[in-house]
Amino acid sequence: MHNLLLNPYRHRASLIHRLPAPVKLLGATVCVLATVLLPRSAWPAHAGIGAGLLVVALLSSVPPWHLGRRLLLAEPFAVGIALLALLQDNGLQVFLAMLAKSTLCLFCIILLNSTTRFTDLLRVFRRLRVPALLVVTLALMHRYLFVLFEETGRLLRARRSRTFTTGRRHAWRLTATVAAQLFVRTSERAERVYAAMCARGWKP
Amino acid sequence: MHIPDGFLDAKTAVASGGLAVAGIGIALHSVRRAAAARRVPLIGLAAAFVFAAQMLNFPVAGGTSGHLIGAILVAVLLGPSGAVLAMTAVLVVQCFMFADGGVTALGANIFNMAIVAPGVGYVIYAGVWRAVGDSLRSRLFATAFAAWCSTVVASILCAGQLAFSGTVAWQVAFPAMAGIHMVIALGEAVISTLVVAAVAKARPELLALSRETPARPRYTELTAYGLLVSLGLVVFVAPFASGWPDGLEKVAVMLGFEPKAAATPLLAAPLPNYTIPGFGSAIPSTIVAGGVGTLVAFVVAYVLARALTPRVDAANRRGPGGASSRA
Amino acid sequence: MNALEVQHLSYRYPDHSEALRDVSLSVAEGERVGLIGPNGAGKSTLLLHLNGLLPEHPQGAPAVHVFGTPVVEPHLPAIRAQVGLLFQDPDDQLFCPTVWEDVAFGPQQLGMREPELSASIVRALGQVGLSRLEERMPHHLSRGEKRRVCLAGLLACQARLLALDEPTSDLDPRGRRELKALLGILPVTMVIATHDLELVVEICPRVIVLDQGTVVAQGPTVELLNNEALMLSHGLERPHLLRHRHPH
Repeated sequence: MHNLLLNPYRHRASLIHRLPAPVKLLGATVCVLATVLLPRSAWPAHAGIGAGLLVVALLSSVPPWHLGRRLLLAEPFAVGIALLALLQDNGLQVFLAMLAKSTLCLFCIILLNSTTRFTDLLRVFRRLRVPALLVVTLALMHRYLFVLFEETGRLLRARRSRTFTTGRRHAWRLTATVAAQLFVRTSERAERVYAAMCARGWKP
Repeated sequence: MHIPDGFLDAKTAVASGGLAVAGIGIALHSVRRAAAARRVPLIGLAAAFVFAAQMLNFPVAGGTSGHLIGAILVAVLLGPSGAVLAMTAVLVVQCFMFADGGVTALGANIFNMAIVAPGVGYVIYAGVWRAVGDSLRSRLFATAFAAWCSTVVASILCAGQLAFSGTVAWQVAFPAMAGIHMVIALGEAVISTLVVAAVAKARPELLALSRETPARPRYTELTAYGLLVSLGLVVFVAPFASGWPDGLEKVAVMLGFEPKAAATPLLAAPLPNYTIPGFGSAIPSTIVAGGVGTLVAFVVAYVLARALTPRVDAANRRGPGGASSRA
Repeated sequence: MNALEVQHLSYRYPDHSEALRDVSLSVAEGERVGLIGPNGAGKSTLLLHLNGLLPEHPQGAPAVHVFGTPVVEPHLPAIRAQVGLLFQDPDDQLFCPTVWEDVAFGPQQLGMREPELSASIVRALGQVGLSRLEERMPHHLSRGEKRRVCLAGLLACQARLLALDEPTSDLDPRGRRELKALLGILPVTMVIATHDLELVVEICPRVIVLDQGTVVAQGPTVELLNNEALMLSHGLERPHLLRHRHPH
């Protein structure tokens, strides 16, 4: 998960990478909408969208194994829900259609994500007049994700190095303590970030 | 519970999107009105915290492990509106960075997990806490019970949206989603309570709703969330309420005739929990199953709260901020 | 007019622990002053006061003046533009998604618009020698680079007084050397709170020693830091650098 976040292919310079972020976001949205709104039986159209996405994937020069692995990681959730559809009349058709639609959309979003930096998307959100408070929340979250991941890793290591008992019950308490410690540190950091924002003239 | 793209039809996506926008609007309004500028960075960092905390594994059995969902935890620590914004940010990032949850289903996912879960959870938490009394133990009990209820309600709404879209029949979606999540919710309750107990021990003043913090919500705010959740239930769940009787029987029949489907792990686990043998008609068994589930959650919450509080409620009385150091 | 004038400043934290007791000091414009003392002496608290960042101000006459302006509520926006505060942990200070946006944050809050905005960002990043990093995410920077981006953020606001809190802690020798060189040439007034006494010897002609919330000594750096008794009694020690320069 952590490695996925630090997606190394987001900084390449292919044709797709160089497209402006608003264009890519719009393209992805249109593609997802089209896929979702297509009638379930329109197989050729589904295939067409799939072919289009494959072309984009080739142009983006993101390694296919990377896209494939991410798709596999995201797929189980979709399959889980689609399986439920099997339990009804003409369930197989619904199941296949759902699977096709969700896979196409997943592929589309993974492509968007592999070629666009989240910071650029944030700029688009800002321009689309998403409320400032929400954009600030998103930006701060994205900024501190990595910092908090590293902090979690350090806390876990420190705990483990001083833990000599095993057992599930113990493991739960220990992990919960780490989560609590993480929250305490996060709220202290939030105070310091607030001070830093004020120091540079921030007014809410 | 993240609905992917392609599972909701246009009317459901738009309707739940509208409800989500309304919910975020309430949250933005009350955070702004509270003029708690101090809390703005905290909301953003709490969203990152949820994300990081979701990476922590809690071993369950046979090599599998569960993780925190976090809605009720942030609601207890930040108050409902802060939690709505933090969870919204989590879902947006999950959608756009991890392809976890669809773009067209973002509204529905935000409504279920970022508005209903913390909203319902907080109302129950505040209600139970006040009813039981002002102590750490009652707070932990309230946390556990609220965590369970909020997770289950969110999953029922998720089932309603799938059924409303005509993707998965209610008779299948409801028992499957609610059944699985009644179990998952127990895990969520235990983890959330453990974390809240640990925070209360380390820094008791961090818990929201203690008398002096600005996070204490106003009743109008809670009422607004309550109305919104009710609206969601009326739109997505009420139309199917009449379909319960023959529904469960139908599933049972189908399961009987379809051994292949019955063997899928998704359904095999929850259904035996959910339909209680000896009840012919499905309505009473649904009610009984729901009642038993709630009772189990209640007992688990009580046992947890008792186990996690020292005899004398000393942790709650320590002076605020006494231990924190500043240079 | 002095850049900084502090008179009889006392401060208690909300939990009633005393942080500062009757602190008085002044810093002339263009001066670089080291602020040294043991942990918990009140160095960071004093720096926060320069920016009006501590929630409760003591009653009575304002104790802190920056460039002649009292640090009180109506003047805070102007004060905060002039006083650049460098925090201990650069991760606290770099809260924006990219370097460019972070350096732009201060000027934007001051109401600066394009094209001056871009010009000031480019200039500030140039001053700290990081012109090529503008599109980077803070997470991908080294600690030394993070510190310098923080400095650029302060310089872009046209800060005239820099208040630096442990600027060289947890930097590797190269990062430390680069930062030291940078601080030595920036044409602004500086108050540097630090345990890095060699940094003080090299770039601050004057030091102030703080202990238990009070000023216990101030004067020329070399003279004070050579006073072994004074150093040891306040949890400090004579830097090796001075031992080699002034053998007894």
